[in-house]
Order: sequence, then C-alpha cells, then structure tokens
Amino acid sequence: MSAMRVDAKVVMLGKESVGKTSLVERYVHHRFLVGPYQNTIGAAFVAKPIQVGEKVITLGIWDTAGSERYEAMSRIYYRGARAAIVCYDLTDSSSFQRARFWVKELQNCEEHCKIYLCGTKNDLIQGDRSLRQIDYHDAQDFAEEIGAQHFETSSKTGNNVDELFQKVAEDYNDTAFQYMTAEETGVDLDQKKDSYFYSCCHNN
Amino acid sequence: MSQRTERRGIHVDQSDLLCKKGCGYYGNAAWQGLCSKCWREEYQRVRQKQIQDDWALAEKLQREEEAAYASSQGVQSHSQSTPPQQPPGHTSLGPFSKFEEKKTNEKTRKVTTVKKFFSPSSRSASKKETQEGKSPSPSISRHASFDTDQVSRDFVDFLKNLQKTGREIHKQCRAFIMNMSSKKDLSAEELSECVQDFYQSMADRLMSHFKGSSDSVEQVMDQVEKYIMTRLYKSVFCPETTDDEKKDLATQDRIRALHWVTIQMLCVSMDEEIPEVSENVDKAITDIIEMDSKRVPRDKLACITRCSKHIFSAIRITKNEPASADDFLPALIYIVLKANPPRLQSNIQYITRFCNPSRLMTGEDGYYFTNLCCAAAFIEKLDAQSLNLSPEEFERYMSGQASPRFSSSEGDWPHSGHGVTATNPVLAQLNHNLELLSGLSSRQETLMESARSLQADLLSWPDTVQREVNDILEKYPLEVRSCTVSAIDANNMDNDNLPPPLTPQVFAG
Ligand SMILES: Nc1nc2c(ncn2[C@@H]2O[C@H](COP(=O)(O)OP(=O)(O)O)[C@@H](O)[C@H]2O)c(=O)[nH]1
Ligand SMILES: [Mg+2]
Ligand SMILES: [Zn+2]
Repeated sequence: MSAMRVDAKVVMLGKESVGKTSLVERYVHHRFLVGPYQNTIGAAFVAKPIQVGEKVITLGIWDTAGSERYEAMSRIYYRGARAAIVCYDLTDSSSFQRARFWVKELQNCEEHCKIYLCGTKNDLIQGDRSLRQIDYHDAQDFAEEIGAQHFETSSKTGNNVDELFQKVAEDYNDTAFQYMTAEETGVDLDQKKDSYFYSCCHNN
Repeated sequence: MSQRTERRGIHVDQSDLLCKKGCGYYGNAAWQGLCSKCWREEYQRVRQKQIQDDWALAEKLQREEEAAYASSQGVQSHSQSTPPQQPPGHTSLGPFSKFEEKKTNEKTRKVTTVKKFFSPSSRSASKKETQEGKSPSPSISRHASFDTDQVSRDFVDFLKNLQKTGREIHKQCRAFIMNMSSKKDLSAEELSECVQDFYQSMADRLMSHFKGSSDSVEQVMDQVEKYIMTRLYKSVFCPETTDDEKKDLATQDRIRALHWVTIQMLCVSMDEEIPEVSENVDKAITDIIEMDSKRVPRDKLACITRCSKHIFSAIRITKNEPASADDFLPALIYIVLKANPPRLQSNIQYITRFCNPSRLMTGEDGYYFTNLCCAAAFIEKLDAQSLNLSPEEFERYMSGQASPRFSSSEGDWPHSGHGVTATNPVLAQLNHNLELLSGLSSRQETLMESARSLQADLLSWPDTVQREVNDILEKYPLEVRSCTVSAIDANNMDNDNLPPPLTPQVFAG
C-alpha cells in the first residue's frame, strides 16, 4: 500500500467558499459538481502526475478544511510547500482581502513557496460583467508586486484550470532542474556538506 | 500401605499436594508443583536468565553482522585490515575507525568526485584499528536488543544487493550511530539537525549514484531511516532535555477534561449507529493508539495513515460519497479526543524531528500527519467558540456541573434517576458492563467453591480409602497357609502380595 512518491507539495489557500475544492476536483477529475452538498465533494489529498516535456512531475495537492474554525491552523498546512494557489472569488471583494492576508503570511513564513494568485468563478462574470468585484488589472498589479503568477479560472467550464496547474508543475521542474545541474557541476558542494555533517556530529 | 498405593501409580500422599519448595502451602500442577508465591519467584529467575540469553544472542548477531559484511566484501581487503590482536568484542568499532580515516583522507587528499566516496577506503586501515582496540566498546552495541538486531540483519540483507555501495552505506550509518551515541548532551533540535543532515547528505550521494532515480533513492532512504532510528530511538524519543513529557501529560489531561465533547459539536459526518461506521471508528482509534508502540518514524506515520483511511471510510459510508478536507479534520479531532493517544506530543515531535523529510513534507503520509498536528493544536486551543457554545455553557461542561447530553437546565442530572440510563448510551453501556462483571464475579465464586470442595474431597480420599482397606482387612484377616498344598500355583510367588479380593481361589487338591 506504499503511497505514490510526490515531487512537490502544493497547498490550496483562500477564504471559505472561494472554490478551492472545486478547482482541485475540476483539475483532477474533470468534473464540476453542483447540488446541495457540492462544497463537500472532493478528495483532501491528491497526487497528480503531470507531463512536463520529457519528464513526469508528481504534484501533491493539499486541500484545506474550509471552515473558519480551522483557519488558525493553516500555518501548519503550508509548511514546506513548494507552491501555494491562493484563491479569491472574482465576485467577492472580501475574499481578495483575505488573499492578501495569505500572501503576507506566506512571504513571512515560507520563502521558498511560489505563489499563484487565482481568481475563481470566472464563468459568473462571463454571464454578467457587473458581478465582477476585483478588477483584472488590480489583481495583475498585485501579483507583479509580489512576484506571483496570476490566473483567472472557472471550475464550472474548466477555463484556465489545466493551464494553472501545468504552470505550477513547469515552474517546479525548472527550479528542480537548476538545483540538479548545480549539484552535478559544483563539485565542492559535497565536500562542504561532508564537513558540515562532520562538524555537527563531532564537536561538542 | 503407601508402598502399595505407590505401585498403582496414584499419588495421594498429603505431602504430594504441598508446594515442592516445602513452604507449607499447597502446590499446583500448572505451576510445576509449586505454590503461587514460589512459582512467581522461580519464574522471575527463569525470566532473568532468558533476558541474559537474549542479550548474549543479540551480541552474537552483532558479530555475525560484521562477519557477513566481511565475507560479502571478499577476503582480500578485510584480511589485511584486521589485525590479529584485536579482541572480538571490538569488531563493531570497525566502521567508526574507517569513518575517521575517511575524514582525514578528505582533509589531506582532495576527494573531487562523488563517486570516489563509494570506493573502498580500508586499504591503510591497520594502523588506525590498532588504536581503536584501546577505546571502550560503545554502549550502543551492548544495549542492542533482539529487535534491533533483527532490523540490523534486514538492513544487511537489503544492502547486499547494492554491493560496494551497500557496504559504504552501512559503514556510514554505523559511523553515524556511533557518533550520535557519544552526543548525549545535545538538545533535541541539535539531534534532529544531525539526523536531518545525515539524511540529506546520504540522499544527495544516492541521487548521483542512482543517476537521479528518485524511487531508488527513496527505497534506500527508507531502509536507512529504519536502521538508524531503531538504534537511536531510546536516546532520542522524548529526551530529558525537552519538555515533551510535560506536554504529553498536559495534553492527556486536557483530552480527559474534554470528555463531554460530542460528535455533533464538532460537526463530524460520521454516524456511529451504522455498524460498519462504528467498526471503522474503532479501527481508527486502535491505529492512532498503536502509533506509540512503533520506533521507526515511518512506521508511526503509517499508523496515522491507516487511521486516516479508516476515517475516510467511515465518512464515505455515512455520507454515501467521498470525504473532503472539510469532513476529515473534524473527524480526526473527534478520533483523537476519543482515543487520547499515549504520548501524543512526544510522537509528533519525534516524527517531525527524525522522519525523512521527503515523506513528511510532500506525500500522502505527510498530509495526514499535518492534519494530526492540526488536530492536536486545535484541541490545545479549543474554546467555547470552536464548538459554537456560549462561554457559560463551555465553563459548565468543563467544570463537570453539566453534561451536554441532557438539556442544560437539568443541571442536577444525577438526581433524575433511572430515566438517565435509558437516554444516555454511555451510561447504558456502563450498566451493561457492570452487570456482565457481577455475573462474571458470581460465576468465579461458584467455581472457587467447587474447587475448594474438590480439594477437600481429594484430601479426605486417602483417609477413606485407608479406612475401607482396614475394614476389609479386619473382616478377612490374612491367613498365611502352607504353600505346599497346591501343585498348580506352586511357582506363583506374587499371589501373597495381591490385595485380598483378588487372591485366587485355592484348590485343595
Ligand atoms: N459558478 C461557479 N461556482 C463555483 C466555482 N467554483 C466553486 N463554485 C461554487 O462555490 C461554492 C464553494 O466551492 P468550494 O469548492 O466548496 O469552496 P472551498 O470552500 O474554497 O473549497 C460551491 O457551491 C461551488 O459550486 C466556479 O468556478 N464557478
Ligand atoms: Mg473546500
Ligand atoms: Zn511454596
């Protein structure tokens, strides 16, 4: 029953009901579920292999409990994440404020975590432009300011969803590749590590 | 008299019923003829000896492990590196010295490639190993238990397939364990750093050895973790330098104080009325309790994962659809509250500090573990708001003045008498258990009664028999007649020894 090996941890963050679970559900199972219980459908953890060039990168996608009750615990969730998809609802300005909060948290606590800013429920705006509460350019500016990628998606139509996760996998692959080549060419690296290991365990 | 009964193989002598140690109490066949007290003493002695034997076996295995490596390496390199004057008990120091030597090599000669690391490096070892004979043997090998040695053997078996690389890995691990055992006064965080650095450097080397195949690396790393952490467990689990133990006790008390929290307050979607759900709940509780009994971080993680899978099943069965993160965390909190797992904080800390990070950070196991951390944090901070209760209600439940299972106006519920039993399933269960227990105790009493009367019967039996025999002897006194009378029974000398009723009739010619 050995679990699948996972290359990178990706966490879903954002205010309750912005559509985190739906986004994962759409991406992994290519479906969107509506109905009285729709916000409780979906898996909590998904390991998803993604083809990137000739390689396969497996993302471990971590969904978080929606209820505000558990928000205080979120910091425990994103520990060690390589990517965070910070979601906000395009039709709910308060959710964007919340997204700003998450970004600040991540910048303070997880410097190695790449941030993806994601406006959800794009389909609602396509139907009725007046529903939009977050201007595309405002969000884009904010994303640039924090060095994040910016997407607007719809889990209902599937618009931009694959693109979002594909980008996450590609970015991970790029950084991982840089790391690998640095290791292969930089011969001194191992020696340094050895001596560190040595000093840690021999000095008292 | 006793002679005669002895011949028929019946032990009825009073002394035969007594403890063989002669202490005056009755003995028991199940206790090899001893009384309970003497048996316990005897058992203790045997057990002590067994423990000593186990230790001896462990030490033997340790030596075999060394030998296995020597032989798997071929004779040529090892035979010249083992000086004859070296006492056998100190062979376990070999890898350490090689590690030391390796280090000096690194300082003097520049090792430029990673591959060189895996090349045999024991060519000029004889000088070093003579020195090492003087140092005391490390306590770690002396305290090795049977379990630990099984793990060592498995590790050796696993590494055999990797040949040279395997040997190098083994050497590294041994050396690392030796080093760690001499670092008694490091803080928990420093210990963790040492282990994590070791994992990191080992994984990096393996990565270049396996040319980037993460799966192979992970496989070896799992074995490395198992081997190292089985050995280090005792010294690094809940170390005295931390307040882990204090936290464990605090959490345990806290969970006990929260016994009144209901599944409804946590909004858990598990219906324990459904037998299959309650089965999964029970299994989840067992799994999370079992975590404490494992030594390897990954085995502990596996317990958490199994527990989580059972929770997911319970939710899926209840809701008839797959569970999500929204259902899972509250359910896990509920399970932790019900299970009150032993040394929860110590276990979380231990896993965090010593688990191979690639497992902990990214994979599915890591996800469940993180949820467990959240559950522990939630329970620690749990207040009225987290359960949607008013602060007053929360206080009353915490102080035991009220129980949420009854309407809160009925604060004096203990007086409401028998009605309670019907409504409260916990009380009903309790009463049921009490009934079972008292039934059991009366059956036990009956059994004891019968046993006592049996004992009395047994004790009086020889007397009865003796009395009967005497009666018969009196009625039919033995007359010794001349034996020349009969020709037929002339050589039957034993007839006289037979008891009277069996004496053959004599033909008077
Ligand atoms: N129209 C529309 N509704 C969505 C979309 N994504 C989510 N929703 C709805 O928003 C609600 C909350 O979604 P959910 O994924 O449970 O949010 P979460 O709390 O962030 O996990 C549900 O009723 C979804 O059906 C979307 O892209 N378009
Ligand atoms: Mg959700
Ligand atoms: Zn006795």
